[in-house]
Formats: sequence, structure tokens, C-alpha cells
Amino acid sequence: MLPRLMRFADLLVGTREEGTAVLRRALQRMLAEEHRYQRGVALDVWAFGEIYRHWLGELRDHVNPMGQANIEDESFARLFGEEGEEIDMMTANFIGNLPPQQRLTLLLVYGERLDHADAGRVLDVPPETIAVRLVRITAAFADRLDPYGDESEADMVDAFYPEEPRFS
Amino acid sequence: MTELSDELLVAYVDGQLERKQSRAVEKVLEQDDVIARRVHALKDAHSRLEAAFEAVLAGEETIVEPPPEPSGPGIFITWRNAAKIGLAGAGLVAALLLAIAGYGWPLVLPNFAGSRSDTAEVEWTGSLPATWQDDVVHAQTLLSRETLSVSPERQANQDLIGFQLAQAIGPALKLPDLKSEGFRFMRGQLLRAGDEPVAQVLYLGASGAPLALYAKKGEGAADRVFKSYGAIGSVSWSEDGIVYLLAGELNGPRLTQLADKAQADAPKPSALNAVGSVSAPPPLPPPRPPPKR
Repeated sequence: MLPRLMRFADLLVGTREEGTAVLRRALQRMLAEEHRYQRGVALDVWAFGEIYRHWLGELRDHVNPMGQANIEDESFARLFGEEGEEIDMMTANFIGNLPPQQRLTLLLVYGERLDHADAGRVLDVPPETIAVRLVRITAAFADRLDPYGDESEADMVDAFYPEEPRFS
Repeated sequence: MTELSDELLVAYVDGQLERKQSRAVEKVLEQDDVIARRVHALKDAHSRLEAAFEAVLAGEETIVEPPPEPSGPGIFITWRNAAKIGLAGAGLVAALLLAIAGYGWPLVLPNFAGSRSDTAEVEWTGSLPATWQDDVVHAQTLLSRETLSVSPERQANQDLIGFQLAQAIGPALKLPDLKSEGFRFMRGQLLRAGDEPVAQVLYLGASGAPLALYAKKGEGAADRVFKSYGAIGSVSWSEDGIVYLLAGELNGPRLTQLADKAQADAPKPSALNAVGSVSAPPPLPPPRPPPKR
């Protein structure tokens, strides 16, 4: 389970070093507040949620929360493979430019294979929001991959946007 | 040109549409090149995103593999490994505290552990119950005298309950009468181990925690096996295609004595029904399926 928590924290923060530090602090908090665990909740879902909430708490406490979002493409891409391994840089860069909440949505659904309800539980959003995020992200990436696509769609996802279902 | 939303097309790419809806989309794709190109791009995006996260997992598994340490005098631990050991220790202690506090390792957890292919999870799954007998003894730790005294489901008729449980477990199920040993029948219910039903029959003595008899279809050793899990002891045996486990906060000799009694003179519920002493009651509801993950 520890590698999965590390992966979650790394993807959340964007770098392995800072991810490990956040995970360590979150584990200490989980250890101190284990009474918050509710019986019946899968331990992995609870642990992911605790790390996410811990990170969110640190972000809120930070003097300049918007300044925390800068991630170097090179170091982020390293999360997708070790040195010498072939990395899909385009995909890695695309994911790296997503807001953390959206990166985690991808990780939880595509990487951890959680259903939308559990992914929503981790990220404190309704399952519908998870579904909408996936559609938006996939559509935006498809725009980027399709040379005839509309580039403006791809740019939209980099910024904050309302997550209500979109009907075209 | 037909207008199809990205929501619909992504659901199509994900295979989340009904067959009829998928066919309808496919018809549109045959006739509309623009939509077909969009679906192609969405499929490409979807597969690349999925592949990227599979690669992340592979990368993490690589990290967990300990690199060969340099040979030499003394103990050499890299900062990276020290951090990992610290984190792993903290995680394990956290899980242990949860378990001790009574929050952790509920009946749903074995599913969680078994549902992953992550090889690095071995150390965690190792701490979970390995067999259904282990599993139900963990559940036993959740019971107390209060569990029974506040229960609205007190069931007075052991024969009826026995018959109902036998319908789920098998006609050879035996439900012993342990009154002569000082234990009154309190209630019976169906639990589950994975997808299979497990009967639980609870008895209460003059003092102390409940005594529980568990029964599940299956073959096991006919000879009795005693195990102790902290304060709780258990004796298991197999008879007529049913594996039994008697568990309670009792010592080995006392449990073995009760198991003797249980094995010796318990009537089979099906036999009760055959002579018409009880009419067939409605079956108990089936055990709940495992929670969807």
C-alpha cells in the first residue's frame, strides 16, 4: 500500500521529494488522529482522502497558495518512468499542467481503478463531478492530439473552470 | 452534421453506454467523418492517459525494490531507504493502532486487500486474516454481552433458526443444545465469507462474552484444531461436508469440552423438519454481496 500512497502524494504535489515530505506529514497526522477512521470505509480510500485533505489544509495555510502550483515539466515527467525508460512526454506534460485535483481524478480512476463514488469520496466531490472531470480532461487532451482540433478547448482545462456537466 | 456531446462520446469510448446506444453511436460514426475523427482522438487520449498511469505504478514498484547495498563493515542505510523505512514503519504503526482501537480490519477489508495486483502490498495482506476461520474470529472481537441484550432480533426458537440456517449451509448442519453446559441459545444469523454464507449461532453463559458457533460449507480436517487469538480461543472441526468453528473467551480444555458436546448430540435441523415437528419458515435473506469498489 505504501507505494500507492507515495504515488498519490507525488502526483498530488508534482515532485517526488515534496510528495514524500507531504506523505510523511500526512501519515503523522493520520497516526495522531486515527479515531477519524470510519469503520466500513476501505482503508486505501480513507488514506488517500486523508493525504488529500492534509495537502489541502497546508495549501490553505500557506501565505501564497497560488504560488505553489509551479511544477517543472522535467521533474514531473520523471514520475512517469525512471531514467532510461521511454516516457510519453506529451501525455506527461499535459497531466503536469492539470490542476492537482484533476491529476488525482485521473490517478484514482485510471491508475487505482476506483469507481467514481470512491474517487469522489477521496476528493470530497460528488461522483458526477468525477465523471465530468474525466470527460473534460479526455476531451481537452483529444483536442491537443487532434491536429485539426480546436486548441482553445485544450487551454481551458489548464485553468479553473466550473465543473457542472456541459451539454453541447 | 450530427451533434454528439463529448460526454456521450467519452462514455462510448469508455464502454459505458448500453448496447443500443453504442449501436446508435456507431451508426453515426459510419456516416459522419467529423464525429468519427473526434471519437478516434478521444480513444487515443483515453488510452494514452490510462497507459501513463500504468507506467506510474510500474515506476513506483521499481522504487520499492531495494537496491543492492554495498558490502563492507557496519550497516549502511541510504537516506532514501531510511526515509522509506520510516514511512513504512509509520504506516504499519498507524494500521496497527487502527486495528487495536477497534476501528480497523472490519469484514470488508479482506476484499480491499485482495482486489489489488500491487506486488508491494504483500506485507499488508499478510497482516489480514488468511482463512474464513481467522476472519470470523476477528468478527468475534466485535461482540459483547451488550450486542445481544440490545438486539431487536432476539430469536427464541432454536429449531426454527436451525432449519433456516440449514437451508443456506446444508441439510447436514448441526445446531447443538448447550444448555447442559450452561450456555443458552440466543440467536442465529447468516454472515458471509467472500460470497459464501457462514452461519453464526450465539450462546450466552451466566457471565462473560458470548460463545459463537460458526458453520460453513466445505471440507476440512475432521480432527479438532485449537487456536488462540489473544483472549479468544477457537476449536474447529469438519463433519458431513460442513466446517465448524466454536469460538469464545474460554480456555482450550473448556472449548474442547463444548466441542465434544456439540459434536456428540446435536440434532440435525433437517431431521426436525422431516418428522414434521416444525413447518418450513421463510428462508433468511441471503448475505449481502461484497461492497462495490
